[in-house]
Amino acid sequence: MTVYILPALIIIMLVICAVKKVAVYDCFIDGARGGLELIKSILPYISAIFVCITLFKASGLAHSIAFLLSYPLAYLGIPSELAELIFLIPLSGNGTIALLNEIIAEYGADSYITRCASVICGATETIFYISAVYFSTCKVKHLRYAIPVAIFSTLSGTIIACALCRFM
Amino acid sequence: MNIVFLVLSLVSLTFLTINSPEAVFPTMISGAFDAIELSIKLLAIYSVWLSVLKMMERTGVDKLVSRMLHPITKRLFKGESDDAYTAISLNFACNLLGMGGAATPAGIKAMEHMNKGDSTATPNMILLLVIAATSLQLIPATVIALRATAGSENAADIFFPTLIASGFSTTIGIILCKIFGSMSKSSAKSASELASASKSASKTNEFCKLDNLKSNKIGEFDTCSIKKINALNTKTTNLQRAKETQKKI
Repeated sequence: MTVYILPALIIIMLVICAVKKVAVYDCFIDGARGGLELIKSILPYISAIFVCITLFKASGLAHSIAFLLSYPLAYLGIPSELAELIFLIPLSGNGTIALLNEIIAEYGADSYITRCASVICGATETIFYISAVYFSTCKVKHLRYAIPVAIFSTLSGTIIACALCRFM
Repeated sequence: MNIVFLVLSLVSLTFLTINSPEAVFPTMISGAFDAIELSIKLLAIYSVWLSVLKMMERTGVDKLVSRMLHPITKRLFKGESDDAYTAISLNFACNLLGMGGAATPAGIKAMEHMNKGDSTATPNMILLLVIAATSLQLIPATVIALRATAGSENAADIFFPTLIASGFSTTIGIILCKIFGSMSKSSAKSASELASASKSASKTNEFCKLDNLKSNKIGEFDTCSIKKINALNTKTTNLQRAKETQKKI
């Protein structure tokens, strides 16, 4: 069912364009040009973040911090197997999906751990990536309380997710 | 961001140099390479979605979406331009439907409309970021697909927990943003802004007098004058602080 929503939306859009006599080809050209400009302004930010995150993972720091975090997380009802996942989510989207795949392979698709991990992945976003990209074109340097608030809210959502998975 | 970047890269570089110095440069290059790979992927995604957004713009559908979500956006983001509301609504709509590729350009546009040339993010900008960063997606399609391919009996059973968890985190984020936003309004910002505070303070004084004459209802009068007195108070304290700092200098 859900597979049909997006294609249907685009078909509806095209029909509206035809009815309103909007030049669809021109729209696509302008859109693609806009995409090029957008990537040009985003690329430096993605590059910086990726170099930093890759170093962080390769140095083994990410792994050891996740290991240390697993104890306080266990008190909040989060299984210690998921510590690395939770730690990785704000940093890297691809890394999260790769790790989710590993968790599914290791614990089975219908285990409590996998369901927890799936809910957490579905209910969270890569905070650092989003904050770098959203502010990339408008020279804002001071994000003030944005990232702490986003991390805290994500963590509280994660705790709720693990609690929900126990009985839902 | 600068501090986060410095600390993260410094600490991990030191660790990596101690553990395996020959891996430092390949790691950094592979990080940059991943970024370029992602950019090319994003370029493809944005080309498609930005053209859909362009179609929405030229047919006026974006204004329709904006009007539909206006009750929500107006309450969350006070005092923004119509263009900003439209971009915010598109960002919300795309995020809800799981069109991350279209949501990001709309979000960037919304940030541009909300930015007034400052290098500091306004409370509204931070609110939009937090809402986007706590995930609005209704259907976690990627995760469900992953579980389905791994042979799950009911891959979509995570739907409701995900919805509740992301709704909860977004609500917490909005509440915290509102609290911090109102706190930052009443606190002093920077020494350079303090100089202009005196002028606006005298202006609010005049407005206050005008309002006193105009307002008939006692309740309205009370709340608005209290607000203005508060604003006045903060501005006078700002002035005093400015004077003190001047003395120190």
